[in-house]
Amino acid sequence: MVDDKQETILENIHEDDSPTSVFVGKINEVLNTIVEKTVKEPTRYLVNWGRLYALWPVHVETACCSIEFGAASGPRYDLERFGILEAFGSLRQCDLLVVQGTVTRKMAPRLKWIYEQMPEPKWCVAMGACAISGGLYIDSYNVLQGIDKILPVDVYIPGCPPRPETLIQGLVELQHKIRKSHVR
Amino acid sequence: MVNSLMEKDLVHNLKKIMGKKLTVTKSKERRIKIETIPENILEVATAIKKLGFDQVMSNGGTDYPDKNLFKLDYHIISVNTKKLRRTVLQLTTHISKDNPSIHTLSNIFPSASYHEQETHENLGIMFEGHPRMERLLLPEDWDDIPPLLKEFKLPGR
Repeated sequence: MVDDKQETILENIHEDDSPTSVFVGKINEVLNTIVEKTVKEPTRYLVNWGRLYALWPVHVETACCSIEFGAASGPRYDLERFGILEAFGSLRQCDLLVVQGTVTRKMAPRLKWIYEQMPEPKWCVAMGACAISGGLYIDSYNVLQGIDKILPVDVYIPGCPPRPETLIQGLVELQHKIRKSHVR
Repeated sequence: MVNSLMEKDLVHNLKKIMGKKLTVTKSKERRIKIETIPENILEVATAIKKLGFDQVMSNGGTDYPDKNLFKLDYHIISVNTKKLRRTVLQLTTHISKDNPSIHTLSNIFPSASYHEQETHENLGIMFEGHPRMERLLLPEDWDDIPPLLKEFKLPGR
């Protein structure tokens, strides 16, 4: 007794002109896996490794969480030993947007412009309760209820404001994410 | 002691100048409360400025939907007159919500200009004769009713 699934496979083989194409397809598959394991995987690892220890944050401060961000860049907590630079330099060099606190309705389009001007690849981090959900100002007429309405967020760092340790942990989580991400 | 005597003198002077156009109450020390109708606000403000009060510290409004009224407050202090330095004068008036407009005080006190602009966008009160009666702090694409009115629906509730 031959069941339906086997029957259809047999039919496909019968309809195909050259029965060798089955083996060619398998060879392609094997070759692809070999290329994947020997060329693409190490390349991906290498590229991601290069990216994750040189994150350039944008110097944009929307609210009071920026003070904690500044403290994290200072000598006591020293973000630079994790491969995250100080916030300085041009927008065209940056690849990390840390949204530091409350985003008002007036600031929201400007923040989006900043994000669109950054070159690929780029990552976005929501820092503090206000950037995540609106926080204390959730029922305000003028505050955006979470920046994920306008930007794709990679990591959420809760706290009001988050301490530098929390910020560092969130950014290290982001580095784990970058390590596993695909390279285009 | 000296202060309270001086304030009594001040209140007496104001009453003498303006007569029945205003009511003066003193709630606590170093704080004078003046209430007037919107038609007399220019004369009262001129008289206040002659007494030595020269800076509008704040201007704000409150919405009373059941009385159909806006309460408008000016807090006026003195910078240049030394003996008035710690006194705050509160000038209050009530405007009808049907036609919320009043003459501006920005030609008498230039510092009232920005405060009046903010009150205009938050409550919808028109200040006649103001040089820039336009949007100040709200987003450019704001198309709702003024946000500090009581009937404004808050997004999170």
